[in-house]
Amino acid sequence: MKLLPALLSHYRRHPLQLIALVVIVVLATGLWTGVWELTRQARHSMEQSEQAIASRYQVVRTDAQPVTVADFVGLRRQGLCVTPWLEVRRPAPEGQVIGVDILSMGCFQEQGEMASPPDLNQAPFVDIGEAVRIAGQGHDSRLRLLVASAGAAVPDAYRIRPVPGGLSTGELADSFLLNLDALCVLVLLITALLVRSVYNLGLVQRRSSLALLLRYGVPAGRLRLYLIGELAVLAMLAAVPGVMLGRFLSQAFAAGFGQAMGGLFDVSLYAGGNQWISYLLALLAVFLVVIWCALDALGLAFAKGQTSRPGARFYGMFAVVLILAGVTGTVLSQALWQVFVAVSLVLVGTGLLTPGVLSRLVDWLAVRGGSPLILWSRRELAVMLRRLALPAVALQLAVATVIAIQALVATFESTFLDWLEQRLQGDVYIEVPAGASLRPALDYLAEAPEVTAWHRVQRGVASLGGRRADLLALDPGSELLQAWAFIEAVPEPWSALAGGGVMVNEQLARRENLEPGDVLSFSIANASMRRPIVAVYADYGRPVDEILLPHSALPDIFTPTFSSLSVQIAQNDVPVLRQQLTERWQVKNLTLRDNDQVRQLARGVFEQTFSLTRAISVLTLILAGCALFLMGWVFFTARHWYYQLLQVWGLSRRELRWRLQLQATGLTLLVAIAALPPGIFLTWVLVARINPLAFGWSLPMAVYPLFWLEMLAICGAIGLAIAWLVQGTIKSRAPAPLAATHIEGAER
Amino acid sequence: MNRLSGYRSVWLVVILPLLTACSPADQPEAGFAGLGAQLEGRSEEGPDFLQPAPGDRVSLPRDLGPHPQHRFEWWYLTANLTTSEGVPLGLQWTQFRQALQPRSPEQAPPPADEWPLQSAWMANAAISYQGEHVFQEKLARGDIGHAGARAEPFQVWLDDWRIASLVAEGEDSDHERWALSVNTRDWHYDLELSPRRDPVKHGKKGFALKSETGQASMYFSYVDLAISGTVTIAGKTHRVAGEGWFDREWSSQFLQAEQEGWDWMALHLDSGDKLMVYRLRKQDGSSFRFGTWIPRRGKPRALRGDQLTFEVAGSRQTELAEVPVEWRVRVPLAEVDIRVEALPGNYWNRGVFPYWESPVRVWGSHQGRGYLELTGYGDTE
Amino acid sequence: MKSPNMKNLSGPTIPIDDGKLFQQSVTAMTQAHSENPVLLIRGLHKHFRSGSEDIPVLEDFNLTLKAGESVALMGPSGSGKSTLLNILSGLESWSSGSIVLFGETMTPSREADWTALRRTAIATVFQEANLMPALTLRENLQLRASLAGRSDPDVDGWLADLGLNGLAQRYPDQVSGGQRQRAALAMAFVMEPGLVLADEPTGSLDRRTADQVADALFRFQKRNHCPLILATHDADLGARCDRTVTPGNQG
Repeated sequence: MKLLPALLSHYRRHPLQLIALVVIVVLATGLWTGVWELTRQARHSMEQSEQAIASRYQVVRTDAQPVTVADFVGLRRQGLCVTPWLEVRRPAPEGQVIGVDILSMGCFQEQGEMASPPDLNQAPFVDIGEAVRIAGQGHDSRLRLLVASAGAAVPDAYRIRPVPGGLSTGELADSFLLNLDALCVLVLLITALLVRSVYNLGLVQRRSSLALLLRYGVPAGRLRLYLIGELAVLAMLAAVPGVMLGRFLSQAFAAGFGQAMGGLFDVSLYAGGNQWISYLLALLAVFLVVIWCALDALGLAFAKGQTSRPGARFYGMFAVVLILAGVTGTVLSQALWQVFVAVSLVLVGTGLLTPGVLSRLVDWLAVRGGSPLILWSRRELAVMLRRLALPAVALQLAVATVIAIQALVATFESTFLDWLEQRLQGDVYIEVPAGASLRPALDYLAEAPEVTAWHRVQRGVASLGGRRADLLALDPGSELLQAWAFIEAVPEPWSALAGGGVMVNEQLARRENLEPGDVLSFSIANASMRRPIVAVYADYGRPVDEILLPHSALPDIFTPTFSSLSVQIAQNDVPVLRQQLTERWQVKNLTLRDNDQVRQLARGVFEQTFSLTRAISVLTLILAGCALFLMGWVFFTARHWYYQLLQVWGLSRRELRWRLQLQATGLTLLVAIAALPPGIFLTWVLVARINPLAFGWSLPMAVYPLFWLEMLAICGAIGLAIAWLVQGTIKSRAPAPLAATHIEGAER
Repeated sequence: MNRLSGYRSVWLVVILPLLTACSPADQPEAGFAGLGAQLEGRSEEGPDFLQPAPGDRVSLPRDLGPHPQHRFEWWYLTANLTTSEGVPLGLQWTQFRQALQPRSPEQAPPPADEWPLQSAWMANAAISYQGEHVFQEKLARGDIGHAGARAEPFQVWLDDWRIASLVAEGEDSDHERWALSVNTRDWHYDLELSPRRDPVKHGKKGFALKSETGQASMYFSYVDLAISGTVTIAGKTHRVAGEGWFDREWSSQFLQAEQEGWDWMALHLDSGDKLMVYRLRKQDGSSFRFGTWIPRRGKPRALRGDQLTFEVAGSRQTELAEVPVEWRVRVPLAEVDIRVEALPGNYWNRGVFPYWESPVRVWGSHQGRGYLELTGYGDTE
Repeated sequence: MKSPNMKNLSGPTIPIDDGKLFQQSVTAMTQAHSENPVLLIRGLHKHFRSGSEDIPVLEDFNLTLKAGESVALMGPSGSGKSTLLNILSGLESWSSGSIVLFGETMTPSREADWTALRRTAIATVFQEANLMPALTLRENLQLRASLAGRSDPDVDGWLADLGLNGLAQRYPDQVSGGQRQRAALAMAFVMEPGLVLADEPTGSLDRRTADQVADALFRFQKRNHCPLILATHDADLGARCDRTVTPGNQG
């Protein structure tokens, strides 16, 4: 079989291309496997814990009475999957315990095996009977009935409500994971683009030798078959180390990731699991890309070698139409999948448009450069932009993605911290014990020297035209409230609130299409009220409708379901405060939260999250950089002759080096700059479109220009690396003997 | 695990460590230590549980209700039904109670709001239809109302699964009728059951031996239930009718250390006769055999080991183990020499303790159908 | 036809300090049309090292080239024709022997001087790919002239002179092979060289086109008294030179 060696001889003559192709496939597979595995693990464990223990929904009685064992039995006997969850507040050193009934948890894992989640076998979990015994020693306790599904049908006397974990972040976690998924898909697209581009470049260079084989009478069909076979073998061989690399990456990052997710969202990562699925998916992706490449092998390889740009104008028009359609779609879409489709249209359009626009721009600049050498230099850059269009676009999209993800995480962090600030007004949060009178505490707070400011928070239930809404009551005059962030508000919202207004949270405003100035009708403890809306406040992550009133507006018969105090203290006198209040209230165990610690915890968690997303970003950038680097190398190697010609024309090596550096960094910097608009667009889509559609609340839009500079610097470094590598190849002064038949790299 | 009295108590061995793990070590836990000793192979029982004794009698309707002084008990139904299209359909429902500490019938249970854990309950149910076998299992703690049993009016329940008397209080209880309802996400059934003959007390008036050395349980059965109702499986609801067998059994004794499992079958012969046989297998290959021959007319007759032979005639390889699905059973005094074979299919009930439970067909000297239950085969030990 | 003349041969400006002094002598040489040889090669040896083997390429090669003189380097492949041209461009070193170029004794280490020479005085024409693909013919000429320091090059004049009028705006891949080689000649001429080195300049052209290109080359060479060294396989082409030399050890 002589065809095979003839075909493969291409790689003997161009080992670089073989290496480039293998490296790209290895890196791409590695990245797919790694990223996919990470997000899959996160999602998997999230779902697991949702189904098993950390069900964030509970069944409550509509008459606001606490649930009892009788409610549990009644609901179970009606076929509803609920399980008891008894929180007993026991002070340190023994600490809080949570009583559970493992026997009734089977239905939480309907499909799984009967074995209970292993983490229930350790502190703080005990059997609920034991927890009752501990509570009997005089500790506060609270029984909840967790329900497996938020959508379960419950009898009329009951409602399903989210468990109000003080810092419950379920929705935020969902949002984060969804965005991580979107990132995953983008990474997949980018790497696919890269693999294809590297292969394509090689294919273009093989055109003449393929044409020769055709002329020697090798049937075209057979040639195609061989090309596809070669590609498939190559891809599979490279995919194996790629999968191993991905496995290594995911394991390396899983620890940090696990901590991040665990800390943030009560999600624990289960190592292992169905990992083969990830590998299979990575292999499938390689396979799809190979098919894509093979389509090229069918078409391109036999096309006439033409260096003109047919249909460039058409492509441009097409790209503009795609972008316009995509942007319109993004704005108008009412469903998540529509947004995803629209965004891909924009990205595809951007990818099609960018190289052409950039090369035209550079061409336009070229004739305005003054000297013929600058003209040459810029024309050459324009050629590069066209010839390296695919890896350049891949780098562009990678940078855009990284910018968007960074903005998302940073916004996410600041939003979350804002939200914490809002929830944790003051330094210390004190839960008023059930049944305790406020008076002794208020007397103490009023005269205590260490207390600089404080206010009282009441929670309860309001009815909005028959629908239930949470009620939050505050003192509008409190100086601790001045930092509240409003989405929309009338001037002086707190005074307006005190003067007869009501505030609503973002979810309610969105759902009912409310804005400041609208009048809201509601009733509290059967007292009807109508008050103008004075502000809409952000309430990230809580899907429940909520209204905010001053204490003074509450009817006399109103009893709060929950009451707490927020206190600002001069020094870190938390122990004093605890002691004083414990004495005055005559309770054994006072729930008192040092908000500083909570903030520190949240910050630590975000650092973890940052390091994870940074890792994924860096990996994506490395891959895109590698691809551009490899292809730049191939490009410069092909164009080697012309750089030597300049030497023959008397350009010194120093000047040549300088030109090379300008061209290579010009290329990567232009790409990086071109990545800014799609990056900003993606950021906007993630925070302003995907989040509201998926979860009903939006993150504020923010951009981080310093990070852009960082990206520019990284891209500049990639350019310098390419230039540095190519310089090595033109060190020798003598021009290589010219092949008599053809010169490669004469495209323009 | 397989040294205990079959799966009917083994499931607790799986669950109890989970429960103990939930409690501090210093908590007094009657029953747990005894169980541990059993695992070590000692046959001595916890002192407080009431042991079945040769003089014990079955008393109805009282004994349809729970026996909190005994360590464990169960209510067990198998049914050989036919759909209105004439397709055979087998189903099973079982509910178990395992006490962690004994309680005399006079003593009131602890208050429910203390979430006591004196007993745990398990219910499982299965349907076998056209070679398909579906199974589900549920657990609950006793004494809070989540699961329980009552003699009058008869009711046994766990969650929304329950069997309950349809006879109103004060009505003539000679025509006892029960309704059984089982619901899962993917399938459910609603049946009406009515006994066509008085309960049969096995062994000596209900005292049924489990070994040569005297381990025993109290055991009686409704051997001929007329059953009708609906079964919904794979999204389709079938009208069904047929006959069933309902076991009531309670005891406090575990199997002997060397007993590794049991084989049990209850058969409805076309002649109108009924036959129940079981054997408890020992590690040395020998077995303790026991049975009851219930002629169509006349008195039931207890069968000693030397009055029946009970041999494996064929096996089926399954994913868990090789299962003896075909048997030769001979009861010379009743001129019975039959083959009993599980219907084609895979009938593992994969709960906390997997066991085999399949509808069977009978041929040979008699034709018929029934149910086969095999434990101690799928153990991975 | 407007013919480029020599009147503004004020001497190339070479932007490299090291080459300043040298530049003056080059200017003197190229302007003088004197009988002094432009190039004097004595006892030139060049060996390639291949592993442990020493392969001689040029052995005791001697050549004297006067202004206005054309020499054809003939001989089979590997006889050292291209190597000699590379040495004379300063792109390759030699083992021993002396080269006096424009009156200066050159050594391989005078890199800056060689660069200056290549930039302003020595025009090289290769078999193909003499033009930058991303530039039009005119832009190519402008680039070459600008590198050579010609402040006001008659680019269109030279293009017209070589029969390329109307093609100035075309890119190299938009014209024929012969037109490309004529443009390459125009690039050489526009820099007003002191020496032209041509390496198989018609090697990839058909006979008729090759003749046209050769005609243009020799027309320029004769008219401007420009010394020419032409490496070729083509005996007919070689015969058009004043004399023929065979480098290499085979004689």
